[in-house]
Amino acid sequence: MHSEPDNRRNLVALRERINRAADYLPAQGPISVFVHHNTLHAFESQNFFDALRAASQIYGCQPLLSEDEYRSEMAAGRIAKLDIEHALIEDLGERDDELIEFLGTRFGLRYAMLENPIRSAPLAELRWLISETDALSKFRPEVAAEIKAQSIYLTRRWILGEISNPPHDQSRRIAAVEELLKRIGDGSPEAWPKSRWESFTLQLIWRACNQGVHALPRFQDGATTAIRHRDWLHAATGQDIDRPIHDVLGRYCAAFLDQGLAHWPLPFRDEGFFQSFIQNYSVARISPNQSLRGLGSALRQLQQQQMDPLQSIAESLDCLGVHEKEQEPFLAATLLALRGWAGMIHQMETRGDRVARAAPLGSLVEFLAIRLILERVALTNMARDSIGYTGPLAELRRMLRSVGRRRDDASVTSRAFLVFQLAQLRGWTPESMFRLNKSQWSKLLFEMESFSGFERRKVFQLALERNYRQQVLDGLVAHTNLSWLPRSKATRPQPDAKLSHPSFQIVTCIDDRCESLRRHLEEVDPACETFGVAGFFAVPMYYQGAGDAYFVPLCPIVVTPTNFVREEVTAQWKEQHELRANARRQLGRRSHSLHRISRTTLGGIVSAFLGPFASVPLVARVLFPRPTAWIRRRFGSLLLPPGATELTLLRIADAPGPSSEQLGFSLVEMVDNVERLLRDIGLTHTFARLVVVCGHGSSSLNNPHESAYNCGACGGGRGGPNARAITQMANDPRVRVALESHGMRIPADTVFVAAYHNTCNDRIEIMDEPSIPQSHANELSTFMPTMREALAFNAQERCRRFESAELSIAPGDAIKHVDERAEDLAQTRPEYNHATNAVCFVGRRSRTRGLFLDRRCFLVSYDPRYDDEESAIVTRILQAVIPVCAGINLEYYFSRVDVAGFGCGTKLPHNVTSLIGVMDGAASDLRTGLAAQMTEIHDPLRLLVIVETTPLAFLGIMKRNPAIQRLTENGWVQLATLDPESAEIHVLRNKQFVRHQVESRELPQVATSRKWYRGWRGNLGLAHISQGISADPTAR
Amino acid sequence: MESTTFSLGSIVLLAPVVLFIAIAVPLLFSLRVSEVWVTKFTKIAISIGLISLIAIIVVGSSRASLPLILSFGNWVDLQPSQSHFQFRLEFVFDVLSITFGLLTLVLCGVIGTFAANYLHREPGFHRFFLLFAMFLMGMIVATFAATIESLFLGWELVGLSSALLVAFFHERVAPVENGLRVWSVYRISDAAFLVAAVALHGASTQGEFVNLTGSESWPSGESGLTLGQASFVGLMLIIAAAGKSALIPFSGWLPRAMEGPTPSSAVFYGALSVHLGAYLLLRIESVLDQVWWLSALLVMLGLGTTVFATIAGRVQSDIKSALALASLTQVGLIATEIGFGFRYLALAHIVGHAFLRTLQLLRAPSLLRDFHGWEHAIGTRISNSAQRLEAFLPSSVSTAVYRWAIERGYLDRLIDSGIVRPFIGFFQRCDIVERSWIEFLSGQTQGESDQAQLPFEGIEEL
Repeated sequence: MHSEPDNRRNLVALRERINRAADYLPAQGPISVFVHHNTLHAFESQNFFDALRAASQIYGCQPLLSEDEYRSEMAAGRIAKLDIEHALIEDLGERDDELIEFLGTRFGLRYAMLENPIRSAPLAELRWLISETDALSKFRPEVAAEIKAQSIYLTRRWILGEISNPPHDQSRRIAAVEELLKRIGDGSPEAWPKSRWESFTLQLIWRACNQGVHALPRFQDGATTAIRHRDWLHAATGQDIDRPIHDVLGRYCAAFLDQGLAHWPLPFRDEGFFQSFIQNYSVARISPNQSLRGLGSALRQLQQQQMDPLQSIAESLDCLGVHEKEQEPFLAATLLALRGWAGMIHQMETRGDRVARAAPLGSLVEFLAIRLILERVALTNMARDSIGYTGPLAELRRMLRSVGRRRDDASVTSRAFLVFQLAQLRGWTPESMFRLNKSQWSKLLFEMESFSGFERRKVFQLALERNYRQQVLDGLVAHTNLSWLPRSKATRPQPDAKLSHPSFQIVTCIDDRCESLRRHLEEVDPACETFGVAGFFAVPMYYQGAGDAYFVPLCPIVVTPTNFVREEVTAQWKEQHELRANARRQLGRRSHSLHRISRTTLGGIVSAFLGPFASVPLVARVLFPRPTAWIRRRFGSLLLPPGATELTLLRIADAPGPSSEQLGFSLVEMVDNVERLLRDIGLTHTFARLVVVCGHGSSSLNNPHESAYNCGACGGGRGGPNARAITQMANDPRVRVALESHGMRIPADTVFVAAYHNTCNDRIEIMDEPSIPQSHANELSTFMPTMREALAFNAQERCRRFESAELSIAPGDAIKHVDERAEDLAQTRPEYNHATNAVCFVGRRSRTRGLFLDRRCFLVSYDPRYDDEESAIVTRILQAVIPVCAGINLEYYFSRVDVAGFGCGTKLPHNVTSLIGVMDGAASDLRTGLAAQMTEIHDPLRLLVIVETTPLAFLGIMKRNPAIQRLTENGWVQLATLDPESAEIHVLRNKQFVRHQVESRELPQVATSRKWYRGWRGNLGLAHISQGISADPTAR
Repeated sequence: MESTTFSLGSIVLLAPVVLFIAIAVPLLFSLRVSEVWVTKFTKIAISIGLISLIAIIVVGSSRASLPLILSFGNWVDLQPSQSHFQFRLEFVFDVLSITFGLLTLVLCGVIGTFAANYLHREPGFHRFFLLFAMFLMGMIVATFAATIESLFLGWELVGLSSALLVAFFHERVAPVENGLRVWSVYRISDAAFLVAAVALHGASTQGEFVNLTGSESWPSGESGLTLGQASFVGLMLIIAAAGKSALIPFSGWLPRAMEGPTPSSAVFYGALSVHLGAYLLLRIESVLDQVWWLSALLVMLGLGTTVFATIAGRVQSDIKSALALASLTQVGLIATEIGFGFRYLALAHIVGHAFLRTLQLLRAPSLLRDFHGWEHAIGTRISNSAQRLEAFLPSSVSTAVYRWAIERGYLDRLIDSGIVRPFIGFFQRCDIVERSWIEFLSGQTQGESDQAQLPFEGIEEL
């Protein structure tokens, strides 16, 4: 018996192990606030590919595309031979030209394994292949003709030589050859036709392979990942204890986390997961299913012993015979068995501020305690039912290990088949193969088997990334040489020089979806200037709209706002507002109770008499989505808060808070926000008369993932209010006076205007229009048509990705098409969101202006000329941009490579659960990650971050910022620097910057974007768009 | 003119058949028909069916030729000395079938349009529309059937397509398991149906409903069977209807059936499939009139189902299960109404309920948005602790009721241990006996196939 303090120490250690295991759980919170994050966040301290290898074992998911998918990329020309060569050399490092016996270099061997598909198959299929197909009579079609001819020729020479001049030395005779010759035995080999020799050669090779690999040991210890009792029992009997357990546990988790979907909340919920489960199930006389017989008594026992959850876990582990050493992986595997629900419980206990009903701290431990009790009950029952085992559970795994059948992956046939395929491809002759001794064979086979499927796919992935990286960097160099260098040399602008004014300036989010909008704006009006900055526009806040019930945070998830802002209706509209709010309240109550009642018995009356009326919206919304939406909007707008509203921005009280005096910002905070925004994007001089700040969001119907389509920099919210707040601040005369004292003069005739862009239907909305001075009405009235035209082109460019839109669609029809997508109940792809994102450019717009980046690039404005020695500005930009963009990119990456494992599968059977997430169909684990409909057109490439700075400066930034260092050095993003003065590019490789070698100096030149993208569905390469180049050579 | 209505009726019946063939044949030969064409076929076939049906109503009511009987002749006609057996393919267009047929065509038209967008680019797009066409064909055949055999034909097609659509995502385990469960329950109800059909033949040599309902048009028919015959046939048909409409004790499958794509869940389990049992009961209403205790049984089943579904529905924390159980409350009520003899009310209830529930299920993914909308409109977070009847129950009772509800009345558990296990156990015992006999007779241990291993899946290694 352990002493009391000893026990306590053990429990503390156990809790730490649970905490570490919990890191592996998905970190997605409730779905209505969708925040993109790296799916493998727990592995960021490791190198990217090491993490992939480890994670694929832990999660049981695919970390890379399948070899077939990479091969089809190869066939489509998106992976070139050159890319594979480079990727292989990069992967091998120093070891590439090592010789492997007589068989050439390691590089050559691996290259052959990449160039041609190496097939492996189950034993039964291999046997069939060998005996029933022409595998042993014809060379593989991929084998080059001269290699094939030479193999046959050499074999023929050798055999004829052996026959006419048999070696006297008995040891040099090869039994297999003689036996084969004897078996064939017809006629003299001299007279054999060509096809005869071909099949003879192959038969010899096959025999040599079989003989060679025979009795070779396994190189990789087939260390099984099975650790849970469930895995062993499942492997041995096909019985899965997880199914009955998840049936009960999933439903229970849903009830426990429910935010108000069920009418009847879980009894005893307030007592926590552990107690409530015991209270609810211990008194039951009947178990939920056959495999959980005796659950009630197990729980009653627990109740009598008065154990706390942690003690119960310790007892369960003891009972299951899990030793301290294997506890952590065991606990992780146990938690990951129902990862969606376990992860959500963890989120709800740690980030309870984001939901209405949080889970108490410690809920995950309680969940684990209950889960282990269920496992014990189910194991006891199922082991007894299936194999008659009634001994202690602690011995179960040992018992199963002795009876369990194991699949022998390294069977002679499959190993021989591997060598057989390569021997053909590389032209190895039977003679040389027969002459190899055992240790040589061992070395050869080791070499082949160590280039496993994972390693091959890794090289393909590197090649795929290289191909696009080369395209982008070459394009950037060519573009710089073509347009930027000549201009910048001609008029190297001085910060204080007198410059001509742009027609207007617009600040958008860095979002990849804004890339095309900015490009089209610049094409429609070459005299304008565009900027990109994280879409909360340096105003982190909790915001409550005039028609909203509560505050929501509008800022990146890493920031916790301190300021509260409320939208208020202006005085003359107050009365109207009250009336409408009342009407909304009434209507809301009615429709909510209708929603509830229609699901009850009373609903019989409703449905019998009102039901037929449901046919009207049903038919109308499905068959005529756009007109119906128009009518609904018309009537809906009668109830919305009236037009004139304002934000309470200037705070009265000292400290910020949610009460009405505490709302808003102090003057100092406002000045800071505005200054930060303008300095970040380098807009400190040459202001246009009109500066538009444009937030974005996305609206779609019937889409539980709607929030995921919104602005990532607003934490899954919509950026309109932030744009509104920053423009009000920037227009405030007091702020401008203060800014002037900080050395930043905004001319009096510059007006900031807020706008909101709906990325789904490509509509724009100008906010606070009445407060725009009459003097600027002219600017606004020229800006709006420009914007609308650009949006129409933007919609057209987006439509080329939608299979249901004609490739020849006109801009006007494109607007209608995207509008319909936003209003269609049946639309599972309202837009493609961040799909295809691959690049993040941090630097001046003039470096990328007029470059077609195919909506694949996050564009962050940053002017290195105004940064200090320490790179303070770019550092603070990168601190936010790299984690946020890498989070988006990596979530897309993992959801794309394994949409059912890391992603949430297809949207079609999704079922909203507990108001916090979706399940597949009637009951399943909670599904996290992105859906197939969001990622299907995505290319899984790690984000290529290009920063306009010098390698030296960037190394300094990395040294000072461990978070940036971790993501870049460990390869979670690719990094390159673009020299601020020239076209020189350096790429970060193995912690060092290497100069980028240009391979292609050609950059296609076209007049407009639409000339480039018309008629094409897939990804497009870079191009130089001449109309997009600024009319003003001094533009930023 | 009889020929006009005859050809219109034939068009209504044939349109889904042609649609099914048009989708099935290219699939059979692995020909790729584009999504656009499949959608067009579906829309055209359903529109033609709908227009013809409306034309029948117009023509038929102006000439007072309703109910219209369409006969496609005797397909089996055995006349040995004693047991005369006939199998007639015959269809009837009366108030009941025309109403139900209109409902079917309108809903299938809407759902077909919806699914065309919803399933865009889904690898199983063609499979979905094939099953959808099969379902439509089954519904139309069952709806207009005038003989019990034709009804059975449609009934089976509906059952098969339903079960296959539940298992639509066959790459996962749960849909396949639940599809199998639906299929198994349907088998029980089909068996009852078949026994009823045989009994009806035994009683009257023919399977026409006229024997059940008399020659008067619906709903004023009178059964031509003896009391004993009517009781037996009626009981079997009530079992069949209970399985199809998920009345207790078969209710467990309905929430489990929400595995397919949302539109199929909506049209099958919110609207049509689930009401098919009730439709059957409406068809045989004269039998229920004749045998009072069958009506009483039906009322009890209906009320029991409603009570069960209401309580179980209150605790569901996912929207599709909640809506499935909500459907069940109404199906129970409809069965009750039929039991009490409110035939027109029941028919109106079916129509209203089908539309409402389809709309709700189609909009199920909007729940989060709706919920936030209501919260903003009302001005506070919506709490589910208000207005609870359960609060008045003593705590121990309320916990027990809650547990009963969240385990869905333990109905599946009871079926598993009460029916499935004994059933399987019996046949396993038979198997053991058979093996031991064979081993004894052949003098060697056998069963090579038992040792066969599952083939190793060709998945990419990790």
